[in-house]
Amino acid sequence: MSSDPVAIFRQEAQDLLEQIEQGLLDLAGRPDDRDTVDAVFRALHTLKGSGAMFGFDALAAFTHHCESAFDRVRKGEVAATPDLVSAVLAAQDHMRALAEGREAPGAEGEALLARLRRAVDAAGAPGEAADAGPALTTWRIRFSLPADALANGTRPLPLLDELRDLGACQVTAVTDTIPSLDVLVPTECHLAWEVVLTTEHGRSAIEDVFIFVIDDMVLDIEALDAPAQDVEAAGGESAAIVSEAVETRAEPDGGDAKAARGGGETVRVPAERLDQLMDRVGELVIAQSRLKQLAAAGTEPLLRAVSEEIERLAAELRDTMMVVRMVPVGQLFGRFRRLIHDLARDTGKAIALTLEGEATELDKTVIERLADPLVHLIRNAADHGLETPEQRAAAGKPAAGTIALAARQSGAEVIITITDDGRGIDRARVRAKAEENGLITPDAVLNDQELLQLIFQPGFSTAQQVTSLSGRGVGMDVVKRTIEGLRGAIEVTSHIGEGSQIALRIPLTLAIIDGLLVRVGAARYVIPLAAVEECVELSLEQDLRSTGRSVITLRDRLVPFIRLRDLFATGTAPDPHQKVVIVATGQDRVGLVVDQILGDHQTVIKSLSRFHADVGTFSGATILGDGGVALILDVPHLVAAGQRHDAQLRAAG
Amino acid sequence: MASILAVDDSASIRQAIKIALAGEGYSVAEAGDGAEGLAKAGGGGFDLIITDLNMPVMDGLTMIRQLRTKPAGTGVPILFLTTESDADIKAQAKAAGATGWLTKPFDPQQLVRIVKKVLAA
Amino acid sequence: MSIAEAADTLQVLTFDLDGETFALDAGVVREVLDATAGTQVPGAPAFVDAVINFRGRIIPLADLRVAFGLDRRADNIDSRVVVIEYDLDGDATLIGLRTDKVHEVTEIAAGDLEAAPRVGMRWRSDFIRGLARREGDLIVLPDLDQIFLTRGGAVGAVVPLAPS
Repeated sequence: MSSDPVAIFRQEAQDLLEQIEQGLLDLAGRPDDRDTVDAVFRALHTLKGSGAMFGFDALAAFTHHCESAFDRVRKGEVAATPDLVSAVLAAQDHMRALAEGREAPGAEGEALLARLRRAVDAAGAPGEAADAGPALTTWRIRFSLPADALANGTRPLPLLDELRDLGACQVTAVTDTIPSLDVLVPTECHLAWEVVLTTEHGRSAIEDVFIFVIDDMVLDIEALDAPAQDVEAAGGESAAIVSEAVETRAEPDGGDAKAARGGGETVRVPAERLDQLMDRVGELVIAQSRLKQLAAAGTEPLLRAVSEEIERLAAELRDTMMVVRMVPVGQLFGRFRRLIHDLARDTGKAIALTLEGEATELDKTVIERLADPLVHLIRNAADHGLETPEQRAAAGKPAAGTIALAARQSGAEVIITITDDGRGIDRARVRAKAEENGLITPDAVLNDQELLQLIFQPGFSTAQQVTSLSGRGVGMDVVKRTIEGLRGAIEVTSHIGEGSQIALRIPLTLAIIDGLLVRVGAARYVIPLAAVEECVELSLEQDLRSTGRSVITLRDRLVPFIRLRDLFATGTAPDPHQKVVIVATGQDRVGLVVDQILGDHQTVIKSLSRFHADVGTFSGATILGDGGVALILDVPHLVAAGQRHDAQLRAAG
Repeated sequence: MASILAVDDSASIRQAIKIALAGEGYSVAEAGDGAEGLAKAGGGGFDLIITDLNMPVMDGLTMIRQLRTKPAGTGVPILFLTTESDADIKAQAKAAGATGWLTKPFDPQQLVRIVKKVLAA
Repeated sequence: MSIAEAADTLQVLTFDLDGETFALDAGVVREVLDATAGTQVPGAPAFVDAVINFRGRIIPLADLRVAFGLDRRADNIDSRVVVIEYDLDGDATLIGLRTDKVHEVTEIAAGDLEAAPRVGMRWRSDFIRGLARREGDLIVLPDLDQIFLTRGGAVGAVVPLAPS
């Protein structure tokens, strides 16, 4: 592998630091949670180890102190007080800087460590006899090694030496089981030992000595101060007692191992590789589409059968790929807890964050692109939406303001909402600001939605907010542009005195979708099948009849229609048997009149360049089996256009 | 002073091992995959072998098994590198003839401690 | 090639548009294809009114003649599409440029490059990066940045489609 190990370490370090941060924030709320304490300790331990391994000595040395502090918490010697948690949290940025190899001033490091030490000292559990004199225990240890232990490199002598390191020992070799010389295989181990050890260490320290062989050996550790158990004569150890002891020891290990693997195995894959795989699948779909055409045109029935089989496989592969890239939104949400923590501190307001729907999944790239906009929206809610505790008290609201982040799937979209229970958006101020910045004229008539949407116009806010996160201005207009870049939409609702909600509607990234291929004039277009409700014929009289309002009657409903031939100015004569494809978004419908419906087509969406991105009618393009290009119609846009046009005609007529 | 063979396809891991142990006075030789490791260790001459399991050409488990069938390979302590939570692999490696293990990531002191633990006094 | 030398000459690809000779920085040229009508994009500005399939990617097809107010010609046997890779708003984008005829990659000495005169020119001076003379011929180097930025000079670039 030619990947840079240091780069891999950096990635790992970032992940670990994030885990540590999440764990610490959890502890702030639940200081007694053992699992979280263990998790934070393990992450610190791994960070220290990896750091040392890859030469990040300063990081390892620094992390070592945090790890030790948490080791003491883990052992119950010290409580996870808010001060301790804050001290380690404060050290996060320093550790991050060290992990990235950036300059991290030694003085700063020292100050952080001093703060940590103070917190640890203060948190020492009261009445904890720190070093009230070592308590000594005497153990009787009996062990024997498997016959192949020597062949497999295990040396009994170092084991005995290690036991001697723990305290005073009396070692007796047990020779009962040594076979007679004529059958003895010299490389086999048939010796057993009995050791009486007096030590201040506990049982686990003794077990640690045998850590490499503990699963294969017979090991019996008995505290001699404890009530006497059945003491067998030296020599033939009772297999029953010993195997019981070994079994109970084995269980925790097994349990731990299972817990560690609980969530199922995962594999880390560089995102780039996933993208490449996605591209290949896309190409496969195109090639399969070609194959289908050829098979249909040809006379070879076997070919057709194979083509169908490949079509099925390609569909399954496509579906699997979609899922592979999906990632739960909770991953993103988790980062915001630290943000809220800091915002509360910076603004002096009490802020509660609630999260909902963290399991909702989105495509990985979409999630990454949502990060900055969401940060901005949350900051906005905290800065402008929420009132100060005094203001809230005066308004009869609970002192802590709430910012609620929620995600849910709705049809082919994921809707992410940021809701605050603050003061709501002052319409008059928005209006004034918009007029001030020349976005609207004083006499312009706008409904509430249009007024609220002005917030997202570039130029609405002349003061660029410099956030500590990005260091450059991230305005609401950038948020809107990013969401639209994901082919999504932003909605705002707000009630004065009660709060506001910003809803982001993001279409599930379907790089491959099922579409309806149609012909208008000489060109072909694709209509996303998910939006298609039905197709009806447009009889010639209906066509000729409709001057003015273009509507057709569909089961007692009037549905406006758009002649794509006219919309696209094809300049061709209409087909005698035109079809109307009824498409819908939400409750609204429009009929699209086409010359011919060519059939289903599995489509790889390719986005249009910047030159064409603002042509609202099309959301992308695709390559057909014969190499030709078909533009993909943007259904919401067309539906809206159709509704607007119809409304105008109705108003006029 | 004892001589140690480090077998791992990652040059940076071999380097990390070398640096940690050379400091204690051990001499460290390297091999980049199981086959090379087997070739070098098969003739005896090493007091300890530290090996990764996941390697190209010949993986660690196969190398350990084959090494144990050779007279020169019997009895020499073999440590393998593993991640903490891998209980299955530990059992497999032990069955193949490994002596002990080192959990990744390890810091230099841990490495030295474990090496001293298994090396005959 | 030393830095000083690099500044002295410009490697360019020369091509014809409506009888006039133009030149592009050869470094941005990726490929030269046979001309094709491409697929029309209704509602797009005249400057980039079509897209083509280039090796499985869909790229815009631009016509510099629109930017320079030249007549558009029907494609003939010499017509070519020059595919360039250009930075559009920070993204490296592949763009096809229609041409009547492609000549060759040649060098222009920095000394031969002149700025375009403010007035008296046949076409917009803000769309011109420079002019060069060679053997009596005038070679025009278009300012692609400016042309792309203004979508070929179309004001209110996108014509909203109105259902009839």
